[in-house]
Amino acid sequence: MRTFFGRVGETVFFVFSGTARLFQLLYDVAKVTVSAFYQNLFARPSMTAFKKAIRYPHLIHQMVLMGVDSLGIVCLVALSVGMVLALQAAYQLKLFGAVMYTGSLVSVAMCRELGPLIASIVISGRVGARLAAELGTMRVNEEVDALTTMGLNPISYLVMPRCLALIIMLPFLTVITDVVGMFGGFLIGTLGVNINPYLYLAKNFDALVLKDIYTGLIKSGVFAFVIALVSCHQGLCVSGGAEEVGKATTQAVVISIVLIIIVDCLATAVFYYALPA
Amino acid sequence: MDKDSFSDYAIVIKNLVKSFSGRIVLDGLNLKIPVGKITVIMGGSGGGKSVLLRNMIGLYQPDQGEIYVDGENIVGVGEKVMNDVRRKFGMLFQGAALFNSLTVGENVALPLRELTDLSDEIIKIIVKVKLELVGLTGFEHFMPYQISGGMKKRVALARAIALDPKIVFYDEPGAGLDPITASMIDQLILDLSRKLRITSVVVSHEMKSAFRIADQIIMLHKGKVLEIGTSDQIKNSKNPYVQQFINGEPEGVIPLKQTSEAYLKGLLET
Repeated sequence: MRTFFGRVGETVFFVFSGTARLFQLLYDVAKVTVSAFYQNLFARPSMTAFKKAIRYPHLIHQMVLMGVDSLGIVCLVALSVGMVLALQAAYQLKLFGAVMYTGSLVSVAMCRELGPLIASIVISGRVGARLAAELGTMRVNEEVDALTTMGLNPISYLVMPRCLALIIMLPFLTVITDVVGMFGGFLIGTLGVNINPYLYLAKNFDALVLKDIYTGLIKSGVFAFVIALVSCHQGLCVSGGAEEVGKATTQAVVISIVLIIIVDCLATAVFYYALPA
Repeated sequence: MDKDSFSDYAIVIKNLVKSFSGRIVLDGLNLKIPVGKITVIMGGSGGGKSVLLRNMIGLYQPDQGEIYVDGENIVGVGEKVMNDVRRKFGMLFQGAALFNSLTVGENVALPLRELTDLSDEIIKIIVKVKLELVGLTGFEHFMPYQISGGMKKRVALARAIALDPKIVFYDEPGAGLDPITASMIDQLILDLSRKLRITSVVVSHEMKSAFRIADQIIMLHKGKVLEIGTSDQIKNSKNPYVQQFINGEPEGVIPLKQTSEAYLKGLLET
């Protein structure tokens, strides 16, 4: 009995010590962000200092790696999901003789929910894993220690640009996912279910309101922060060798996806009750 | 200790204690590292050399004791003060620790770009000068994976001295290199120390290289300083452990094998 409680205690401690370290990183990132903006905007306002703090070329490089290079796979998944959604919706709506509303269902579902979610999950697999593996390997190769001994804060040099790049890029990817998903629905709706293209487009855009789009984009920004923070945290916590890097990579993806879905649930509830349409 | 005596010593360590989850690695260690000289810290594997080094550069916080770098206590100071102290030293890591996404030139330029307000042209010139010092002129545009292990170490050395530090730490500079390349690195350490009057702290367990470069050798054993002296003093040491270490003998004061009773006891214990 004692060992059982001991084990439960150990597990609880393990989970919470991990969470505590994650919050420590959250705190560090917040501190670095605030101090970067404070020092460079108020303490010694100069454009070069500001550019230095933002690490412009570094940021652009990360944005290309995370955003532009992910375009292909994001489009492919979005197209498939849009098509599947249209088919399944038409199948059910036919029972009510409301097949022409397929376009509405696809557009609202994509913008409010599936667009941000699909983009984030694909990106957490693609970018989250890359971040964790990259930072983990840097940790193993003493590169993170080398930065520290140079007097460069690894949080502001490594974590900050990556967080910022993903927070900028994921909403863009979400918009693309929304559009490509709707296009997939349009293809199936017009070619497969034989809805008039003009009617489909009209229903598609009639149902959409501004709130559908911006709540989706806010969500995707939050998801981006979750992915970047969790993945960088997993990478920086690596101690040991190759096996640990592999573990951190898996953990980064699994924890990101679980957190994304939990945060999505909370955010949807908040938008539903706090921002009535 | 008064302020004056700090001027002769780059680093003074008093009563340093560091343990990891109950296992004591450094046990009340005291040492002084003179300015402008090469000090080699020696000791067996697991003797606390690397831990001592990591305490000196502020990667670990000691449990007890004081570490003075250039007259300033670095134990328990904030990140800002520590970063100012870090500007005074460079560090050569065992695996070179070059950034693999940057070219050789960018690696050397990184501390200059990030920590100074120098213009790009000046940084370019400094990078050339530093690479020239380590004998790698014209290698700016190579990526770290395109050059050999010895060259990586030399690039890392160029990066370590980019900001003209007063102190350079070397973690096993000859590890993983062939004897000729290793002796080339030793020669570089000597040159830098003699020409630029840089205080060098070398952690190593290679006797040959230590005797070649050291002004002062510090022997560590079980987290304490066992013996301090010049190369000759260490060579002629009466201490049986030191003699065993120099001659590299498996049998001696530090037994490799357990006695049969201890072996039996160990087996039955669990």
